Amino acid sequence: MDDAGIAPARHRLNVEDFYRMAEAGIFGEDDRIELIDGDLIDMAPIGQAHAGIVNALANALYKACEGKAIVSAQNPIRLDRASEPQPDLAVLRPRADFYATGEPPGPDDVLLLVEVADTSLNFDRVVKLPLYARAGIAELWIFDIKRRVVDAFKGPSGNGYAETITYRAGETVGLACAPDIAVKLNLVFG
Amino acid sequence: MDDGAIALARHKLDADEFYRMAVAGILRRQDRVELIDGDLIDMAPIGQGHEATVAGLNEALVVAYAGRAIVWPQNSLRLNRLNVPQPNFTVLRRRADFYATGERASPANVLLLVEVADSSLDFDRTVKLPLYARSGIADSWIVDLKGRTLFVHRRPAGDRYGEMTTHQAGERIALALEPEIVVSLDLMFPG
Repeated sequence: MDDAGIAPARHRLNVEDFYRMAEAGIFGEDDRIELIDGDLIDMAPIGQAHAGIVNALANALYKACEGKAIVSAQNPIRLDRASEPQPDLAVLRPRADFYATGEPPGPDDVLLLVEVADTSLNFDRVVKLPLYARAGIAELWIFDIKRRVVDAFKGPSGNGYAETITYRAGETVGLACAPDIAVKLNLVFG
Repeated sequence: MDDGAIALARHKLDADEFYRMAVAGILRRQDRVELIDGDLIDMAPIGQGHEATVAGLNEALVVAYAGRAIVWPQNSLRLNRLNVPQPNFTVLRRRADFYATGERASPANVLLLVEVADSSLDFDRTVKLPLYARSGIADSWIVDLKGRTLFVHRRPAGDRYGEMTTHQAGERIALALEPEIVVSLDLMFPG
């Protein structure tokens, strides 16, 4: 009898493969690629509104986090062996070398991840949110550019978050784990 | 609103990048990975019956083609920029160096292509066969292990074949491109 019952399936890469591909020059300099559940994902191009929100939020977070945490813009976060996304912003626990050496930042180092979404909204909600929850990312903010709102997710549990609060322009959103870090959204949505 | 299509764009790799992954040791032969439409695809594990059929067909093909063409078992074949499958057999026009140097084997060199399918039957039929047709492979065989049947596909047109015939073990099949060569299917299902 034939004992093969598994049909062809996509080959899953791990973070070592991902870095060796970069070293071997397999990705071009202009490629913006995330590793998500072992798949290479082309990130959506950053539109002007998206860039503006990231800039405004980054500046607000730099001020709020000064001396308390590190703001990391569009850098990779290593969630596990098969996933290394590049959220728009991350707020990381302080480390003297700014994570230049040693272990790359992982879920335990992350106070907050931020995704700014226009065309990527469904991908952020359906694929990345469960990934972040499973990895134990404590807090996630998803900025919805079209609706001009922020969904703040807290309390990772399984594939989701126990608590979701929606904030609008004019309100202030803060970190549950670091309440003195907060951002006035009218500074971000303009 | 939110239940629309997920904007997910898998990064597509091309054949050159695929080969560079092999050279860099990121993909190893034992990983058994094909490039299909720019995606890396893990090939199905090979079961015992599959091994026996490959061995039986290998003998039949080598006997039929000895000295006239090259039987190329389980090597990759570059079809186009985004597709480098690894058929169970590719029979190539004879070249003195057996394709060791110079241009890699391409669809223009292919006389016959054979896939032996168990769990991969659907994938071979719905994904790979249209690729082979589009590449103009004149003679594509799919051996269905469970159904103990050979499906022969000829006259490629677009992403389909204009002719499909079914054959059982024990038959003799003349090849599409070289009808004077006849392959015996006596050993197609040795078990």
